[in-house]
Amino acid sequence: MKTTKILKDMLIIAWMKSYPDFRRNPLMLLLIAMIGAIPLFFMVLFSGGNMLVHGLIGAMISGVAFIGVMAGIQDISWDRYVKIREMIVAMPVHPASYALGIALAPLLLSIPSVVFFGALLASWGVFSLTATLWTILALVVVWAAMSAIGFLISTYLFKTSMMVLNNLSNLLGIGIIFIPPVYYPETLLGNLSWISVIIPTSNVAGLIRAYMGLMPLSPETIMVRWLILIVTTMMFVGLTSLKARWRET
Amino acid sequence: MSIAIVDYLQFETTTCVLSICVAVYKQPDHLHSEMITLDTAVKSEKLVKIYHSKETVEALKGVNIGVDKGELFTLLGPNGAGKTTFLRIISTQLMPTEGDAEVLGHSVVNEPEEVRKHISVVPQDVATYNNFTPWEYAYYFARLRGMSVSDAKQTSEKALKAVDLWELKNRMCQTLSGGERRRAIIASALSSNADVLMLDEPTSGLDAVARRGVWSTLRDMVKEGKTILLTTHMMEEAEMVSDRLAIINKGNVIATGRLDEIKALIQEKYRVVVEGQFEKLSDYGEVAKLGDRNIVYVKTQNEALELLKTTLKMNLRAEASPVTLEDVFVKLVGGINNHENH
Repeated sequence: MKTTKILKDMLIIAWMKSYPDFRRNPLMLLLIAMIGAIPLFFMVLFSGGNMLVHGLIGAMISGVAFIGVMAGIQDISWDRYVKIREMIVAMPVHPASYALGIALAPLLLSIPSVVFFGALLASWGVFSLTATLWTILALVVVWAAMSAIGFLISTYLFKTSMMVLNNLSNLLGIGIIFIPPVYYPETLLGNLSWISVIIPTSNVAGLIRAYMGLMPLSPETIMVRWLILIVTTMMFVGLTSLKARWRET
Repeated sequence: MSIAIVDYLQFETTTCVLSICVAVYKQPDHLHSEMITLDTAVKSEKLVKIYHSKETVEALKGVNIGVDKGELFTLLGPNGAGKTTFLRIISTQLMPTEGDAEVLGHSVVNEPEEVRKHISVVPQDVATYNNFTPWEYAYYFARLRGMSVSDAKQTSEKALKAVDLWELKNRMCQTLSGGERRRAIIASALSSNADVLMLDEPTSGLDAVARRGVWSTLRDMVKEGKTILLTTHMMEEAEMVSDRLAIINKGNVIATGRLDEIKALIQEKYRVVVEGQFEKLSDYGEVAKLGDRNIVYVKTQNEALELLKTTLKMNLRAEASPVTLEDVFVKLVGGINNHENH
């Protein structure tokens, strides 16, 4: 299949999965932003705004990561109930178009909230052009990693009930977005700060803080952290593609 | 017994005799059964599917089916017979354990990408995505086929008009009736311009009026030259829409052919439904007991009339008609009194 067709189909699927929802339910954009903004409220309340800049970085990451992990899991409903996946399997569509399209759809919906929190951060004066580019790249990679985790779960637990999967995705979201040092600097963890390197969300948060000059990291450390981020993302993607079957056997 | 009832019985008897006389089946000349020709759209050879989970289930046990181009072929069977498994294999969603099948000459095992260019599928128990409109269903699926924007718009308009949803094209699916929703999904299959449409129980859960709307659409599609492979467990549906059909039970095809050919598989040609107590019914033919009603299967018209006369004399209500597909089906899949064991 031609690459152009694969990419075109990916965009059509992403559009199918995002635009009608957005058009008929624009409030969902606010909801996506609110999910990321809730911790900010408490941060302002308890730290008097000192930590807000760190919180805004967390809110940006939350915008792409939380929805990324849910995309794969919620795709199960597209398979089980509306059976759009089943219909698409029997069409001349490449599996990569489908997987990427499904993952891209929530990213399109989270862009406004990411831009909003990014703009607030810019007003702090922490964004340089280089920092902006690295931040975008880091957000894209964390989106890929989290989407891969979502697909991994939905692939391995494809017989589990939708309710259980929804709970699992929420728990996972809380577990890897709200608990690790995503909304707060990893230095607060002291000796345990190494944990932030192995979790994609907190790893990316650390990298963005370093690019913004909020946390000093040596170039070697930055390189190692990128390497770990890419390896973990590839691991999740690899595990998913090992198990996932476009055509059932 | 009152005079009124006797009059009613006489009227019923006369009606039955008339209906027996006009029961001549008209069949399309161009259709043939069994034979696989160059015009074969779908052909399966010894298709076997075994599911291995906690227990091994043999869903298909060497199924051979041939569907001609431009016909509506129905796979009729009870729940769990293997219909959906067959359709999912043919539509390249599921790999067979053994055997192969071809769609327009392409192997579903080895050339799934070629097969997918020619088919369109409506899965079983499919619900609409409520935020979609019928237009979005038709248009997006046409675009995924690789059509340009203008071609996709054109074919979507045609598909929505064909399923009589053009006026409702911009309504969200959640505001449509069950029949309209189902037709929106069928429109997505139609807009693909695929040569072979595979529909898995497309009318299940619909009311009679909505069902007829879908049937009408299907027949129109056949008239336009599409090949349709349909699965159903509804006898009336199979009888109304099919050019040919196959009866499948427990993974085996037990009969294939036109409706008249299927009906010819049993010796009994008429059924007499007798209401009330009549102990010697079995003298006339095989009897299926349905509570206080009995269906007696007889071989000839004279036997049916004889039984009607007898019941009339006994002041019992009776009604005769040619055997239905359901009678044949029930007999072929497991005996006419099998329901008593369920």
